[in-house]
Amino acid sequence: MTLTTLVLAANPVEHVINHKFIVSDGWWLWSGHVGNLLLSGLIMLLAFPYLASKIATGHESLGHERYVARGKLAHMLEVICIYLRDNTIKPMLGHRTNAFLPYLWTLFFFILINNLLGLIPIGDLIHLVVPSWKASHSLPFGGTATQNLFVTGILALISALVINIAGVRELGLGGYAKHLTAGTPPYLWALMIPIEVMGTLIKPVALALRLFANMTAGHILLATLLMFAVQGLDMLVGKSPLIGAPVTIVSVAGAIAITFLELFVAFLQAFVFMFLTTVFIAQLSHHDEEHGHGHEHAHAH
Amino acid sequence: MSRALAFLIVALAAVPALAAEEGGSASPIPGIKEGIAPMVTALVVFAVVLAVLSKTAWPKISKGLDERAEKIKDEIAAAEAARKQAKDALDQYERSLADARAEAQRMLEKTKAEQQALANDLRAKADAELSALKDRARKDIEAAKRDALAEIYAAAADLSTSIASKILRREVTPRDQQRLVEESLAELNSARN
Repeated sequence: MTLTTLVLAANPVEHVINHKFIVSDGWWLWSGHVGNLLLSGLIMLLAFPYLASKIATGHESLGHERYVARGKLAHMLEVICIYLRDNTIKPMLGHRTNAFLPYLWTLFFFILINNLLGLIPIGDLIHLVVPSWKASHSLPFGGTATQNLFVTGILALISALVINIAGVRELGLGGYAKHLTAGTPPYLWALMIPIEVMGTLIKPVALALRLFANMTAGHILLATLLMFAVQGLDMLVGKSPLIGAPVTIVSVAGAIAITFLELFVAFLQAFVFMFLTTVFIAQLSHHDEEHGHGHEHAHAH
Repeated sequence: MSRALAFLIVALAAVPALAAEEGGSASPIPGIKEGIAPMVTALVVFAVVLAVLSKTAWPKISKGLDERAEKIKDEIAAAEAARKQAKDALDQYERSLADARAEAQRMLEKTKAEQQALANDLRAKADAELSALKDRARKDIEAAKRDALAEIYAAAADLSTSIASKILRREVTPRDQQRLVEESLAELNSARN
């Protein structure tokens, strides 16, 4: 058995895409992404209420210490929550912060945990343990759920609903319609209203595509580098060690570096998704009707 | 809006017609038959997590953060109030200290003035007594002198009288006259003594 068999097929995309588990009549009822999504939900449902009780104000008997979060994980969660609330959400939403905070916090952590789960080679570990699943290309868990366009699409759809419903509730139907004219005089409306309607539609599409593309590209790059590494290792123990050695070393070093980058991207993209949702909510308010459209271009990247 | 997104998703799903025979698509974009289950799972899991955490975790964290912020704000306010109070107390203390000092100074000056007045008084009294004493002494001396002179006049008158009677009783020679004068002088001397 050569080392190549440890890695999936020659196509690096194989590493990245979803893997079926239960299929009925061509419909994938259970796949690796489904498993990972359920896993992320389980993690959040178990960990967050527990950590929240560690962050909440403690018992009187603790004295001043009761205001301090207890435990390292609780500290980590608290730091992120505070940063998102006080430095990101509050400056944009002001008095509406508390209304949107649960949604925005959940959104950030849901995406983050799924991004991070994607960095753990769950699928490869399962395939090592159950080779028959490897042979049939099936997996109950594994992959990056936030790399699935359907998953990012539904998250963007939820955000779009939140953004626009919040806009209508904040501005009223008339105000919301007026917002579509971008404050221009009536003779420009024929131009502005289609542009604004398109903008309303493009915002969530961009959210979905951004997360999908970031998660997919990084993972494909990582898979490619690891493939090179394994093939180089194959050469090293086989016929041409002089070629194999440098290829392996460079590929492994690159893969390690890209893994760190991916770790950063996992946080960054979770933040960007949540941040832009907040920006779009803030744009549909009385407060920045004047300059809201400038922000949009500044932040969309 | 949502219809447009659904359209997009369907359109994207239609693109990768490369559904692999082995069960894995070669494209990173899944087809609709592959993507529906993760999408529904994501929706359900997200909704459940949002609902549960909105009840259990997020309010606790929000409340904890708010309470701590409130606590810190209160503590700062209390510390500032305490500092102001201390400063006020210090000011008052310094003010009363200054008052006490001024009072002491005033009392000292008053005492000094009283002492001065007393001393002046005493000196004036002493002076007056002294001058009274002097006056009396002078008067005594003058009285004594007057008595003495009166006695001298009386004695001189007596002596003159006796000298005259002696002259009348006999003839006087120059030798007699000399003797007479000497006698008179002797008498005068003895009279004085």
